[in-house]
Amino acid sequence: MRLPQQPGEWIKRGSRVTFSFEGKTYSAIEGDTVTSALWAAGEKILGRSFKYHRPRGILSLANHDINVMMENGTDINMRADVLPVTEGMALKAVNTGGGVARDYYSVLGWLAPFLPVGFYYKVFHNPKVLFPFWERVIRRMAGLGVMNPKAPRAVSSKANLHCDVLVVGAGPAGLSAALTAARQGARVILTDENAQLGGTLSYDHAGSGEALTLLEKLNAEVAAQPNIQVHLSSYAAGWYTDNFVPLVGPQGMSKVRAGKVIVAGGAFEQPAVFRNNDLPGVMLGSAAQRLIHRYAVKPFQRAVVLAGNDQAYRVAQDLIAAGVELAAIVDLRLDGKGSALGDTSVYSGYCIEEAIGGACVEGVRICPWDGQGNADLSRAIFISCDGVALSVGWAPAAALLYQAGSKMRFDDAIQQFVPEHLPPGVFAAGRINGIYGLQECLADGERAANEALGVTPSPQPSLPVREGASHPWPIVEHPKAKNFLDFDEDLQLKDFANAAQESFDNIELMKRFTTVGMGPSQGKHSNMNAIRVLARLRGEPIAKVGSTTARPFFHPVPLGHLAGRTFHPERHTPLHGWHEAHGASFTTLGVWQRPAYYGRDKAAAIAAEASAVRSAAGMIDVGTLGKFEVRGPQAGEFLERFYTGHFLRQRVGSTRYALLLDESGVIVDDGVVARFAEDFYYVTASTSNAAAVYREMTRRLQTWGLDATIVNLTGSYGALNIAGPKSAEILRGLMPIDLATLANGGAIENEVAGLAARIINVRFVAELAYEIHAPAQAIKHIWQALFEAGHAIGIKPFGTDTQRLLRLEMGHFIVGHDTDGLTQPLEVGLNWALANDKTFYIGQRSLQIQARKPLAKRLVGFALEAGAHPLPEECCLVIRDGNIAGRITSIAHSPTLDKVIGLAYVMPQDAAPGSCFSIRGQDGIEVSAKVVAMPFLELTS
Amino acid sequence: MPYRLLKFALSKKHPEPPFFQQPEQLKSSYDAVIIGGGGHGLAAAYYLAKEHGITNVAVLERGYLGGGNTGRNTTIIRSNYLTPEGVAFYDASVKIWENLSQELDLNLFYSNRGHFTLAHTESAMRTMRWRAEVNKHHGVNSEVVGPYDVKRAVPEIDLSCGGHAPILGALYHAPGSVARHDAVAWGYGRAASNMGVEIFQNTEVTGLDIQNGRIVGVQTSRGNIKTGKVLSAVAGFTPRITQMAGFRTPIVIHPLQACVTEPMKPWLDTILVSGSLHVYVSQSSRGELVMGASLDPYEIHSTRSTLDFVEGLSSHILDMFPFLSGIKVVRQWAGMADMTPDFAPVMGKTPVEGFYLDAGWGTWGFKATPISGKAMAATLANDKPHELIHAFRLSRFAEFELTGEKGAAAVGH
Amino acid sequence: MKLLNCPINGLRPVDEFAYGGELRAQPDPQTCTDEEWADYVFHRNGAPGLKQECWYHVPSGTWFIAERNTTTDSVERTYLWGEA
Repeated sequence: MRLPQQPGEWIKRGSRVTFSFEGKTYSAIEGDTVTSALWAAGEKILGRSFKYHRPRGILSLANHDINVMMENGTDINMRADVLPVTEGMALKAVNTGGGVARDYYSVLGWLAPFLPVGFYYKVFHNPKVLFPFWERVIRRMAGLGVMNPKAPRAVSSKANLHCDVLVVGAGPAGLSAALTAARQGARVILTDENAQLGGTLSYDHAGSGEALTLLEKLNAEVAAQPNIQVHLSSYAAGWYTDNFVPLVGPQGMSKVRAGKVIVAGGAFEQPAVFRNNDLPGVMLGSAAQRLIHRYAVKPFQRAVVLAGNDQAYRVAQDLIAAGVELAAIVDLRLDGKGSALGDTSVYSGYCIEEAIGGACVEGVRICPWDGQGNADLSRAIFISCDGVALSVGWAPAAALLYQAGSKMRFDDAIQQFVPEHLPPGVFAAGRINGIYGLQECLADGERAANEALGVTPSPQPSLPVREGASHPWPIVEHPKAKNFLDFDEDLQLKDFANAAQESFDNIELMKRFTTVGMGPSQGKHSNMNAIRVLARLRGEPIAKVGSTTARPFFHPVPLGHLAGRTFHPERHTPLHGWHEAHGASFTTLGVWQRPAYYGRDKAAAIAAEASAVRSAAGMIDVGTLGKFEVRGPQAGEFLERFYTGHFLRQRVGSTRYALLLDESGVIVDDGVVARFAEDFYYVTASTSNAAAVYREMTRRLQTWGLDATIVNLTGSYGALNIAGPKSAEILRGLMPIDLATLANGGAIENEVAGLAARIINVRFVAELAYEIHAPAQAIKHIWQALFEAGHAIGIKPFGTDTQRLLRLEMGHFIVGHDTDGLTQPLEVGLNWALANDKTFYIGQRSLQIQARKPLAKRLVGFALEAGAHPLPEECCLVIRDGNIAGRITSIAHSPTLDKVIGLAYVMPQDAAPGSCFSIRGQDGIEVSAKVVAMPFLELTS
Repeated sequence: MPYRLLKFALSKKHPEPPFFQQPEQLKSSYDAVIIGGGGHGLAAAYYLAKEHGITNVAVLERGYLGGGNTGRNTTIIRSNYLTPEGVAFYDASVKIWENLSQELDLNLFYSNRGHFTLAHTESAMRTMRWRAEVNKHHGVNSEVVGPYDVKRAVPEIDLSCGGHAPILGALYHAPGSVARHDAVAWGYGRAASNMGVEIFQNTEVTGLDIQNGRIVGVQTSRGNIKTGKVLSAVAGFTPRITQMAGFRTPIVIHPLQACVTEPMKPWLDTILVSGSLHVYVSQSSRGELVMGASLDPYEIHSTRSTLDFVEGLSSHILDMFPFLSGIKVVRQWAGMADMTPDFAPVMGKTPVEGFYLDAGWGTWGFKATPISGKAMAATLANDKPHELIHAFRLSRFAEFELTGEKGAAAVGH
Repeated sequence: MKLLNCPINGLRPVDEFAYGGELRAQPDPQTCTDEEWADYVFHRNGAPGLKQECWYHVPSGTWFIAERNTTTDSVERTYLWGEA
């Protein structure tokens, strides 16, 4: 039922919104949440509990429970309590059998005696063959919403924000803190998970005109402060190192880097525990107040208030003012107030022993009790009502503080955990500190802000005892149970005693065995009572029992908000456009795009490209290679230590093979070193290792303290390789010098097509080939010029797939393809590359140790015997006497040789050319291969 | 039919006995002391008692039972490793897993789901072929499959992964399974306790007594114990213990993070791992998606979480499953992974006589729980390494005989 | 995310950096035993503590040393080589 206009209400009465729930249409007012609209319409059964499918209504109306969880076919697990109604919403409750009104799974409630805590660990595994069946049943029963695989990917943006002070929570303490900081010039971000500022000023204190005036004043002051940035409907999802706090709102995530963080997040009201405390109509006092003050909804017709603290009396007054008939106040405290409230009877020293009703609460049975959980049934009184407001205690919203490394202590006077030690840069204010008085909260916020700014603060108000105290034991035993502690997980009081009996009697084991606090609410309404129960079971004070670890997130965060907009960078060489224009089929190597071959038909393209290189000429873009200039008086000394070969005595104008090992002697990379001057070397590295090689080079330069500099030209230079018998002929026309000077691995800085370039004679893919390196802009012209010059000869561009075949025909291995994370040079026959007469190179000492052991394997070239069989794939195994003896690393049909050739690891005794060995193909069939001396190309002559 | 449930309904008092005894005091001596009350330590205690008749054993746990990595992992069990010794070892573990719920009489929710290691590059496909061939050679059911086989098992997946890293195929490992991690510790703990093993929680080892190169006792926060045999199975705390023992290992500690979504009705029946996207995911029987990614890049002795971990993971999961953008992550946590340079454990004897080490479990320890317990129990009882763990000896580093697992363990647990 | 202070570039988010492991003295390969060498290559000081570590700021190619408590993850100071 809707109330007349409430001062400070959040709804906009002029504007109506229509939505449907479980197939029935409802009219809401703009500003309603789904739950407030349904309650206003008289709907009380809004959801079904997870395990027993009991009817559920409102508990906190603050997203501290998941009683009311809905789905709409696209989004699931929507928190109706805080979800604003929008036009046309079509919702239903999650996890029901046949709808929320008549959920046929509620029969599980009758089975409850058979299903105690942890029952599923004791059954379903014998007989073993039936477990898959039971698991299917359990999986179907568990889970909440139904995922929709056709839901579109929602893309949200992330913002990165910086501020001096982040204030989490805009209740009285937070507002005061934010204003105090802002007035002193700090840049402040103020965030609150609610749709409006004010916190308790919009529910707990809202019944007072003064409080509402204060709220208006604070709102105006905040609006007038240009250096307060307000984030509404945004929760701080967690605290991360160096005051890094993501704020999650409906549109996405804002990641805040704050100089200081003030946590003024308040406290979660806690339920009382008695039989059927989960009946629709039984709710937290603060929930009833939210209904009244924010949404102008009358919570009940006739109510009972269960009081464990003084705030309960404010709840009672609010109910009366809203026209609710207040049947009774049941005060748990044995030394309770006792005085009547108007016509309402106050029962001091009484508890609610049971809530009674079919699907919704129809009355309560109250009894005098001993304050320890035992009710005197002989003096029970039945009070009819359609609503119960629980106001028995609070637990601080301290998750962020825990994550920041705070130490909390349990204050016996107010029965709440409060901060004892906060890490530098983190501050707390308000109810989190156990301060509940309105004026005191304002003062505490001011104090926290001053502390955060390094200004001498006013002393922290001492904790007043009565206001805001939590009742130490708002829990009543009942032989027929159904007295719930954790509403998410349907956990009853006896579940904890049972768990403790089974040895799960410390806070972590209890949590994991009972699953308390492991539901979507993560213990907001249940952890405190669980701690109380455990303390009593152990006979220990609460301080000794401790608390479980509070982990991110404060509320669950959508994957889409966490992902934001995904970027997939690509790296292109300077020639990329040319490749695209000439029909290249690209492959991805890390983030680089490289042509694999040109054309549509892969096999035909590779054959044509290889043929061109073997008979005339081909050109490949190798611009992705690592390229480093090493200069300086000790450049040679640096390379001498870094790589395995000789570089100090390398002749200017020549190239050397550069083999790089790691400290354990494993092959890391290889490339070529060209020496262009006494103090100038030019080094190449493979594409995938370029960054790592540069990183290691610069580190070694530091540790060895040599006088040299390294410049990384990988991105700013392009490179190409022109190969084939006619390659010299083509290049000659574009260079001013005699190519003979470049024979046998020569290197020179000169010109190609009139542009400065570095030219190296290499033999990777063919007997005759040249590699040309030049700045990115220049390489485009050089490539084009060579292509035009070679056109008549039949030059073709070739890609990495062809390159892989060509180098294989030449018998060359590729690091990372033919070697792995453990290959050392002796296994690849690289003894010649190891200059062991040097005093030091990286990996040398380790190789000395390993050289004393017999080799385990050897990389050899092989050819397959003639015969029709499917080509074994790379990494198929070499089998000897039924055991694994090695594997193929490269294999291809060579059109030039018309044979299948490859590289493989075999046992050293099988490595001599002419030996035969056996390969097991992926189909399990063994084929015979013969070891061949390399390069394979000599096979033809 | 679970007739057992009847007794719950018919008893007035909860009819279940305690899982384990919790003795008040440490004895002054034990035949063997196990440091670490997680899955590995408790499994070792169980096999010591069951297979070697050694029951005068104390298990010392600094926190709560299973509170280390046993309670923090993402519960994936598989044996599709790269090396023959790895395959043999993990396959032996899988064989025990398959009947472990029955052996311990506790439902561990051991659920055979099948396991896909997705390959997005030719290089990855080659590694899958390598693993498949080694697996098949040892009788382990793995094979290379194509993208459509992946799609058949997971119709909801976007094979193009957002367009930039299309799935070329996968290593499919039929025995891949998940289990309820906490329950494994509870099950082994209960069985060991029933055989007389004493389990002490909240008991921290503060020192080791070593004389003439031999262990003679253990110092704890609750008193000192004399013993001639000690097994350390403490994962992320290993370097602290080996420092007490006075020898060095390659082990460094990096956090390994994980996270979990809200529960949904079942839709993902298999386990997916992507090396290129650095992400793996399965759906628990509660309905939550359990997800993990790569190791944290630097050493920290802490279980703190980071936002960039879950941001990166979310981005990659949505590449595979774009429709999950509205699904919410509830919680993230971390464990302390004891990493080795060759992605294989360190198991067996140590330079200290009578001191045995079960460590170096990095991101691959949960699946090995049963076999490591069995092997370490045998090693301790016989003072000789179990045949399956020779390749994992501590001395292999000094001998330059590392195992070759780098390819298999990278991401994917 | 965590912030790290590059000696050249100042406070930067930690994902701009690469971790190079603890700074370790290399034994003289000419005079050390095989055991000492293997210990240097493979074994590590894995226990928690205040360590001198090599860190690399990737965008600027700066190697430096950070003195970091590997339990609390707090960095006492960062400095360039030779500035110890």
